[in-house]
Amino acid sequence: MRTGVFFCQSDDNRSLNIDAIAKYSANLPEVETVQILRTKPLPVLDFLCDQIRTLRLDRIVIAGDIPGYYKPVFTRAMAMAGGNTDEIRLASFQEHGARGENAMDRAKAIVACATMGVPFPLAAVPGGNPVNHATLIIGGGIAGIQSALEIANAGKQVFLVEQSGTIGGHMAMFDKTFPTLDCAACILTPKMVSVGQHEMIRLMTRSKVMAVSGKPGAYRVKIRQSPRYVDTKSCVACNQCAEVCPVKVKSEFDAGISLRKAIYIPFPQAVPNAYLVDGESCTYILSDGKKCGVCMKKCPKECINLMETEHIVDLEVGNIIIATGYEFLDVSKIEQYGYGVFPDVLTSIEFERLTNASGTTGGRIVTKTKKHNKKTGEDEWVYLPEGIPPRSVALIHCVGSRNRKYNPYCSRVCCMYSLKFAHLIKEKVPNVTVYEFYIDMRAFGKGYEEFAERIKQEGTFVVRGHSASVAMNKEQMVVRGEDIFNDKLVEFEVDMVVLAVGLVPSEGTEDLSRMLGIQRDSDGWFSELDYNGSPTDTDKGGIFVAGMCQAPKDIPDTVAQASAVAAGVLKSLTSGKGIGHISSLSLSEIEARAKTIHTI
Amino acid sequence: MATRVNPTFIDDLDSFGAEDVQLCYQCGDCSTVCPHADEVYKFPRKSMRLLQMGLESKLETTLEPWLCYYCGQCSEQCPRDADPGETMMSLRRWLIARYDFTGIARKFFKSRATEVITIIVVALLTGVFMLYYGFSRGSIHIYDGESAFLPSPFIHKFDLTLGALLALFLIFNAARMWYLVMIRGTSLKVPWWLYITEFFQLPWHFFTQKRYAECEKKREHAVYMPWIIHLGLMLGYVTMLILVMVFIEHLQAGPDIKWQVHIFGYLATIGLITGTVYFIRSRFKKHYIQYKKSHGTDWVFVVLLFIIVLTGMAQHIFHRTGLYEAANITYIIHLMSVVPWLLRMPFSKWAHLIYRPLAMYFAAIRRKAVFQQEAVMSSYPVVVK
Repeated sequence: MRTGVFFCQSDDNRSLNIDAIAKYSANLPEVETVQILRTKPLPVLDFLCDQIRTLRLDRIVIAGDIPGYYKPVFTRAMAMAGGNTDEIRLASFQEHGARGENAMDRAKAIVACATMGVPFPLAAVPGGNPVNHATLIIGGGIAGIQSALEIANAGKQVFLVEQSGTIGGHMAMFDKTFPTLDCAACILTPKMVSVGQHEMIRLMTRSKVMAVSGKPGAYRVKIRQSPRYVDTKSCVACNQCAEVCPVKVKSEFDAGISLRKAIYIPFPQAVPNAYLVDGESCTYILSDGKKCGVCMKKCPKECINLMETEHIVDLEVGNIIIATGYEFLDVSKIEQYGYGVFPDVLTSIEFERLTNASGTTGGRIVTKTKKHNKKTGEDEWVYLPEGIPPRSVALIHCVGSRNRKYNPYCSRVCCMYSLKFAHLIKEKVPNVTVYEFYIDMRAFGKGYEEFAERIKQEGTFVVRGHSASVAMNKEQMVVRGEDIFNDKLVEFEVDMVVLAVGLVPSEGTEDLSRMLGIQRDSDGWFSELDYNGSPTDTDKGGIFVAGMCQAPKDIPDTVAQASAVAAGVLKSLTSGKGIGHISSLSLSEIEARAKTIHTI
Repeated sequence: MATRVNPTFIDDLDSFGAEDVQLCYQCGDCSTVCPHADEVYKFPRKSMRLLQMGLESKLETTLEPWLCYYCGQCSEQCPRDADPGETMMSLRRWLIARYDFTGIARKFFKSRATEVITIIVVALLTGVFMLYYGFSRGSIHIYDGESAFLPSPFIHKFDLTLGALLALFLIFNAARMWYLVMIRGTSLKVPWWLYITEFFQLPWHFFTQKRYAECEKKREHAVYMPWIIHLGLMLGYVTMLILVMVFIEHLQAGPDIKWQVHIFGYLATIGLITGTVYFIRSRFKKHYIQYKKSHGTDWVFVVLLFIIVLTGMAQHIFHRTGLYEAANITYIIHLMSVVPWLLRMPFSKWAHLIYRPLAMYFAAIRRKAVFQQEAVMSSYPVVVK
């Protein structure tokens, strides 16, 4: 088949040397012509048609980052020249992952496959390995829980590794989910309980992956389990230890808006449902057993052992699922919103805990109250259930998101949860005024747009325009903004400001990516193998990504992706052959395979 | 009236310095932080929007670019790095070109080479003319009196000719600005007496530059440094212009120092030299966001002014110390830089000396007109049925 290779590549992709690829493709069999076309303006129809006629081309390969963009003009040219329009093959560098270290070899292989008329994914199949039937899941949020349950329910062993004292992740902290306004805990806690009770799931809390070695299908993982100081099997969560504990620190689960003891349970529905001791604040542990220790004496079940040490667990698994989730951007570095300066400027997660019925105010939305701390002798701003409800609240979208100084990307969930907040405030606080400041309303999912409309109809003032300043004017917070639709500069007096803070990859993401050898994108999230085609796989065989750690996404998408990952894992287990590292495939291997397929 | 869209307008503005307007996604942060944006004049976002949409005919009638003093707060916190401050600056350049009916300003702003070559040609022509005139009439060894190389009555006539030419251009341009802003730019009926009641705005803003100070207030400078220095530069410049245009015969005649004239000259020189040195330094150091991007014409402006001040000082010193030859030579160099400078005035950044106060004046009138309109509207009864 007489083949013509046309390169349509803009200069954006610096890791590819188009001239070298063009030279390589000129030596491929049956290639008649190799041309590097200018991408702007589009190739001229007459010229292409002329080329096809004079060179008598039967097949055309369009190579580039987005060759599909140029396909129509080539198709028309082929049709005009009387050729077979089915023989227009795309060699997409972007789609098939020509990036990173061996970008050039991959790009060459992509072109080679296309000239032979062989679909690249068919040729680039790494050899199968025998697979260990156990699966490791890193991260016990909703993504990890969902994958764990899917795999365990299929009868396969799962190791679920969680860094904190309980599974549940961020979703356990939420009050309601958008757009259905379902209770988040009602969806999550049954799943958490089944994870805790499942015979095929080994739950490892307070654990961290230290090292990963081995090859696809047979990974050896070293896990460091920090001491919990409480025996999860015998603890009945009677709370007597916490009652006597003298140490008070900020609660991580309550996003720092309330206090907990050094021995604590993150929340009553925690799984495993047992107390744990914070080694960094416990007096006994910090003083090497010289002081305190009252909880040990008090415990009726004698399950507290403050002398416990960490231990290392070695596991052998076939597949690994990364579900490490996200964190919130440190908003105190965005100074114009006065976070940390004015008491009633909250981040979204703080507000989520405030409005949660299991939160410190019992779900009452109130402003902070000034309270005298006798120990330090200073006035503190705290949340009390009897606090004064706000008369007006401003919700500011895109704080740190879509901002070149912080996160250039959209965090995807903020618009919707801010609308949800507006609803919750309207529902819980009588006669309250709510202002939403947004740039673009991204209500993209099923039922989202309707939800946004509903919020507007509920009487929330939705202001098209971002506010860039929160100021204090005579003990009264003032939010300034531009109402673009009504062509006004607005200044609202508010009692509470909730910032829709952008999301960033969680703390250990970088270490984990180095440990596993998985690339991250420019924003720091884990790179999937192919954004459209295989959004759960990674370059490494047998390692999958699920949930937020791949990119910001909402709960429905996270759950869907987690289930998809489970399907990928189960596929490898049932077929008995794990997929190897695609990144390790060499050019000659792919070429040879393509040739075999081609001759068949 | 239908508004025409110019789709290539945004590219056209590139050469005036607004390179990043495309990036703007209309969040309105810039308008929020701007100390000058108010109910009637909302910017920079709105100007950015007009620019993005290519509404050239609408933009040329706006006053907003002139109300901005480029404190840089908007650019500092712009989430898209679209640089609204620099865009407003570029719009001012573009407006200067727009008000100018000859089209010369546009050429100068668009091509640095054209501007520099024109300046050099004019300078050389001036030099040749002055040398020819000097040698045909007097002696290079003499500075004062009848047979002086460049006698002051001649310079006076020369200056007045230049001044008249300059005034002609400026009056035309200012009239054009008035037409665009007050006739085309507003659909409101502007009562004639507002022009009189608001007239005080013109000298007030010209001599105090109050809004510049308001702009700097929000920044961390100790005593509003740029404002004081800019004011000094401007007052020095105006004083010197008056001295040169009206009192040149007293100023130039020597060798003794006439304090009643020269004291003003010295004060003006202090203002000019501090200003030019400060702004050249700032443009080099780029400490503040407003000095980060310097357009070619900005450099020509400060550097040429600096040369003029230096040569002016030098010829004065040489003259009073009796080095007449040196004084004559530096004087010719001085004139060689002054003539292109003066001729360039209506077509360059310099013209903001006139346009800014005029813009404040027009803005005040338009604001009053808007309020009156609103008052009339609100006094109408609300008809329910």
